[in-house]
Parts: sequence; structure tokens; C-alpha cells
Amino acid sequence: MQINTENNQTALRNLEIATGETISDCYQCGKCTAGCPASMDPSPSLLIHLLKLGLFNQAISAESVWDCMSCLTCSERCPKNVNPAAIIEGLKRIHLNNMDSEINLHSLGQEFLAHSTQQAVVSGFRKFV
Amino acid sequence: MPEKMTHIPYYPGCTLKSKALGYERSAKDCARVIGFEMHDIEKWNCCGASFPLTKDNLMGLAAPTNILVEAEQHCTERKIDAQLITLCSFCYNTLKRTDFAFKEDPGKLKTLNEFLDRKYHGNVKVTHYLEYLRDVIGFDNLSKMVKTDLSHLRVAPYYGCLLLKPEKELGLDDPEEPVILHDFLDALGCQVVDFPGQVDCCGAYLIMRNPDKVLELSHKILDEAAEYGAQTLVTACPLCQSNLDQSEVVRGEMPILYFTQLLAIALGLETEHHQFDTHCVDPKSIVASCQKFKECANAK
Ligand code: SF4
Ligand code: SF4
Repeated sequence: MQINTENNQTALRNLEIATGETISDCYQCGKCTAGCPASMDPSPSLLIHLLKLGLFNQAISAESVWDCMSCLTCSERCPKNVNPAAIIEGLKRIHLNNMDSEINLHSLGQEFLAHSTQQAVVSGFRKFV
Repeated sequence: MPEKMTHIPYYPGCTLKSKALGYERSAKDCARVIGFEMHDIEKWNCCGASFPLTKDNLMGLAAPTNILVEAEQHCTERKIDAQLITLCSFCYNTLKRTDFAFKEDPGKLKTLNEFLDRKYHGNVKVTHYLEYLRDVIGFDNLSKMVKTDLSHLRVAPYYGCLLLKPEKELGLDDPEEPVILHDFLDALGCQVVDFPGQVDCCGAYLIMRNPDKVLELSHKILDEAAEYGAQTLVTACPLCQSNLDQSEVVRGEMPILYFTQLLAIALGLETEHHQFDTHCVDPKSIVASCQKFKECANAK
């Protein structure tokens, strides 16, 4: 996924193609946010609202995308069949493609890694690096 | 002991061969008593742990596709139905969703086959161990194999996220009101503690970025389970086990067991190498409180 974020409309369209989602389907009921355990701020529905308003740069610079843990509660409950978790992952990937990784693996420390499950480390690589 | 063991191909995944060895060992030991033998597929790689959520991310499907190819070959060589049993919720989710993605879009399968220069035919039925117990063995039959009195034990079933979601693709159980672990515990004869946090997220891979948040979420789940009277909690996911167990060191003393560890106790197996001792909260007192029926005063 390589998305040029300079033109909002093109960027939005490309995000939709990459994620397979239709952002305009969201009718802002807030059900995704109500069930989100990550207390994201901006919330998943607000992130989608920003995208709908064409405020693409505001959405991708939101720190809260990194709080999402892909639990899929939002996606499972959305009455409009939107997949907020996928949209958020799309936003994360735009970041990771353009910038440094979100976690510094060296700073995690040997002891922390020794106690971690392999699946957490691998997922960490997939989502934050 | 059943006369002929059913041969079941098994995908372990990374965590089951390291941090969650007790989960794998207890599952395999129980399987042998129940009547099936889990065979590791010959060559396997990490499944990638997290299924890629964006539709254009085909690279994320390469690792699980390789596993499905291996499983298919394993079954073809032995002339058995193409299936693959898993224990870890993450592996289950990733493998089953990959297979689903190909059913939904055969073009993706073609691309992946060309990229890997291998051929996956799309025939593997990915099954979770719990699902196998429910649908093939049957919980009724399982309950007849129980040799230990667990009637005093109050156990909370904890599902987490990836065992159930997305329902459309996994189809294991209702993601909001699941019953499979409840029914399993019921079959073992313990008291099932139905608590609201059973499908809440433990924080999952966020442990790599924000451990405090994970401890907070796990803490809340355990607080609820304790409030509803649970003495122990069972899970099917090594990452849930690890997050909850680490949180419990700060919060209280509730042991977090793999459902197969409790199954091994129920079946009256030798649990010495099931690695109860590697858990942060030692389940010794729980294990000690369970006695075989013949040793009870009111033996059946
Ligand atoms: S639940 Fe669906 S429709 Fe409602 S706000 Fe969230 S994404 Fe939009
Ligand atoms: S997937 Fe992310 S945004 Fe959706 S409910 Fe879970 S943590 Fe919140």
C-alpha cells in the first residue's frame, strides 16, 4: 500500500481500495465506539467521520490508531457492515510505509521478550514495525 | 483405551512449541485417551499470528497458505480427509480466515499459488480442538470419560476475541453469547461461572506497545470473574493466558488454565509434564482439590 496523502480524495479512494471498505457506508451510529475496549481518542467512529469529511491528514495523524488491538468487536457489531478495524489497520500501514516503526524493538529488553509469547512478538512485528 | 486411534493432522504454531508447551502436551495426552492422535504436519512455519485485515495485503497470506499446502499434502499422502486441527486461537483464526479468503476470491488463491510456486487446492478444513470435541467426539461422550470429581470447582470460561470473530468466517459459535466452553466445562462436571467479561479483549498484542493498558483490561476481566465467584478461569489462547496470568500477579490469586489442562485433570491423567509450574499464579491448590471418583467417599 503506497498512498500519497497530498490529495484527500485520491488518498481516500486508495484507502478504500486497499482495505476493501466503503467509508461512506458508515452512518455514524457510534456502535463501534460504544463497544471498543481500547478507549481510543479519537474513537473509531470519529476517525471514520474525519475520513468522510475529507480530513484525511487528521485521521492518519491520530495517535489513537496505535491503541487498537484488532479485537474485531467493532467490525462484528457494525450494523452497516463496515469494518472499522480494517480501516484503522489501513491507517497504521500508511504510517508504517512512510515512517519509522512505532515500537523500538531494542528498547523492549531481553527479559520482556523472554516472558512474551511468540504470537505477541510476531503480531507486534506485523502491527507496529 | 480406544482400539484404533484416528489420525488427525495438527498445526502447532510457535507459541505451542515454546511458552505454551503445557497446552500442547495436555491436549495431546487427552486426545490419546479420547481416541485420536494428533500428528504434527511435517514442515511448518509461523502462521504470521495476526490475519491481515486490509484486503490488499496478500503478503500476509503467504505464510498461512504454505501451512495449508503442507496440511493438504499430509492428508493426500495418507489418504485421509483434508483437515487440520489447531489449539492457539490466533493460529486458528489466521488459517481459517486464509482458507475463507480463497473461497471468497479464487483469484487470490491463484496469485498466492503462483507466488509460492506451490499448489493449495482449497480443501483443508481448519478445526479447533474444542470444535473437534464438540462435533466429532461429542460433549455427552466426553462426560462419560470423566474420572475426577470437579463438582466443587467454580470455573469461568473465557473466550477472548479471535476464537469467535469474525463469526461469518469462523462459524464456531455466537461471538456475543458463546456456549462452547460453557458446554465443555459442563461436560467435565464443574460449576460454570457465566460472567460478562467472557468475550472482552485482554489487550492481546498491545502488550508489545502498552503493557499497562493490557494489565488494566486483563485486570477488569479477572475482577469480574472473581466477583461472579470463579476460583479459576480457562482459556484456549496462549496470549490471553499470558496476559491474564501476568495481570493476576498484581491483582489476586486466580490460576489461569488452558482448557486442556483442566481436561487432563478431569480425565484423571498424569499432569506432571503439563507445565502448571510455569504459570505465574500456581494452580497447585486447584489441582490438589480435585480427586478421582474412586478416591472420594461417595465414589460413583
Ligand atoms: S458501527 Fe459502523 S455505521 Fe456505526 S459508526 Fe461505527 S462504522 Fe459507522
Ligand atoms: S478492533 Fe480496534 S477499534 Fe475495533 S473495537 Fe477493537 S480495539 Fe476498538
